Amino acid sequence: MEIIFNTPSAPKETENIENKQNFHIVTPGEQITSDPAFMRGHGTYTQEDVVMASVAGVVERVNKLISVKPLRTRYNAEIGDVVVGRITEVAQKRWKVDINGKQNAILLLSSVNLPGGVQRRKTELDELNMKSFFSEGDLIGAEVQAFFHDGASSLHTRNLKYGKLRNGSLVVVPPALVRRCKSHFYTLPCGVDLILGLNGYIFVSKHPDKKSEELSPEELYSNKNEEITFYQRSAIARVCNCIKALAKHYMYINDSIIIYAYEASLPYKISDLLHDDICEVIVEKAKLQIEMQQTL
Amino acid sequence: MALISPSEKDFITKGIEADMRNDGRSRIAYRDFTIETGIVSQASGSCRLRLSKTDVLIGVKVEIGDIISNTTSDNNNEQEQDIVNNQNESDKGRIVCSVECSPSASRDFEGKGANDINNELSQIMNRVLNGPQGGIDLKSLCIIPGAQCWIIYVDVLVLDYDGNLLDTIFLATRAALQNTRIPKTEIQDIGNGQLEFDISDDIEDAEKIKGWEDVPVTVSLNKIGQKYIVDATAMEELCTDTKIIIAVNRNGEICAMQKSLYGSLNPSLLTEMIRTAKDIGKVLIKNLDTTLEHEQVMASRANNKKFGFFI
Repeated sequence: MEIIFNTPSAPKETENIENKQNFHIVTPGEQITSDPAFMRGHGTYTQEDVVMASVAGVVERVNKLISVKPLRTRYNAEIGDVVVGRITEVAQKRWKVDINGKQNAILLLSSVNLPGGVQRRKTELDELNMKSFFSEGDLIGAEVQAFFHDGASSLHTRNLKYGKLRNGSLVVVPPALVRRCKSHFYTLPCGVDLILGLNGYIFVSKHPDKKSEELSPEELYSNKNEEITFYQRSAIARVCNCIKALAKHYMYINDSIIIYAYEASLPYKISDLLHDDICEVIVEKAKLQIEMQQTL
Repeated sequence: MALISPSEKDFITKGIEADMRNDGRSRIAYRDFTIETGIVSQASGSCRLRLSKTDVLIGVKVEIGDIISNTTSDNNNEQEQDIVNNQNESDKGRIVCSVECSPSASRDFEGKGANDINNELSQIMNRVLNGPQGGIDLKSLCIIPGAQCWIIYVDVLVLDYDGNLLDTIFLATRAALQNTRIPKTEIQDIGNGQLEFDISDDIEDAEKIKGWEDVPVTVSLNKIGQKYIVDATAMEELCTDTKIIIAVNRNGEICAMQKSLYGSLNPSLLTEMIRTAKDIGKVLIKNLDTTLEHEQVMASRANNKKFGFFI
């Protein structure tokens, strides 16, 4: 039996990435500029005409507007974003959904697909059956459709790629690490499906036997998992651990870096990926691969 | 209350059945700990222990107090009363533990949510540590029999939470007690049977707590489905039917046991769980002590720079 006690060690000397990649990283209270021509945006404040950072993160500049994008933050929704959320409450004609934002998102009964794909107005009977679609605790994939007056986001699942999530587990990473890209739905070569929610919730699951279009009406909202083999389960666990390792080292997360990290992790046992030193090796390897790919 | 979906629950349960948990661990594997001791300069002893995201900071303070015997006490403090009831002798000191879960650690600890868990954890600690099973030589804490003694206050602050809180707290307590020094006292007889004492100011003179080596650690076993696991994550704790907490000392002796939650247990499974807990507890203590020794050796070296929480 192996139980490891680490002691905190000296921070590693790293090369200065600020110069290399043209980043400007600031900590709260750090001066960004004293030029009065600039306007202050989110994450900044002014003190005696000097723009200072109020959060730790990366400085972003749009023309004259300076803002700081924090590394650790709650998710700021934008229309069209793919998110993964958890139902927290079933209310009148709506579900409240936790999407790691400042307030719960709302999924209206009118923005979900009925089982069987029938198109009609939602009746009182549908309202009574709401808990059979989604109940408290369920994980869903959804898209941000609009905003309410109070800033809460309104979600929809009117597409067969959205809806209830099964056959896998959830990994939570800081939302800043997930970048917007063309697609947020991936099937990795190892037979694992990924949903990269822009809110930092990542769902890793087994590739389903049936396509979502082929599911029967009952199966669409079912809570039952498919049969999952030991091999598939290990692949899911390995991908989850790779994502956690990347997040621990503040690497951005997309499909290709996850694949590289997965490949780099193959010589190690899955449970070994929880150790700090092995995490570091894998992340370094994945980073090198990405850099090589970019120079090609 | 944290939420979990039925399919996640099924996934975790089946994974445990197959000995492949969500993070790839086997059923009886622990995550890695990170430990620092002696970080709070105002305390007599301190420790910060992290287990993945679970983060616990412990400060131990020794103070002089009155010995309260069972008959004379009119103490209203319930927890103090609980400890006093356990000791009838007038020549023993005592240990007072309190746990505080920071509301930033978990959504469950917001508002009044933390009260129940604070009370539960404090009570377990007080009951385990006060008494012969707790290891600490309470008699050595007595300064003047019937009058004054040292009271060891163990204050636990939970900074972050990702499951298996109790094991982390007990390991950190053991480390903090190892780290604690009690000032020396000198008793003088001032005539007519009256006693008086002086506290030595010399830090070099301070002594370790007698019997810290025998302080037990707990191993929490969670029964999920038909199998049991150690070191459950927060998600796995949501799937738990029954939880058994077993306190083990370095000799592998069982010092305390508690069953929580509503599920039931087979007697044969229970014996198996106790055996596992005994084996794991011994390894936990051995590895913790080795790390603490190593830390001390490193600290005593010249030009050693310390890193960590308060740097």
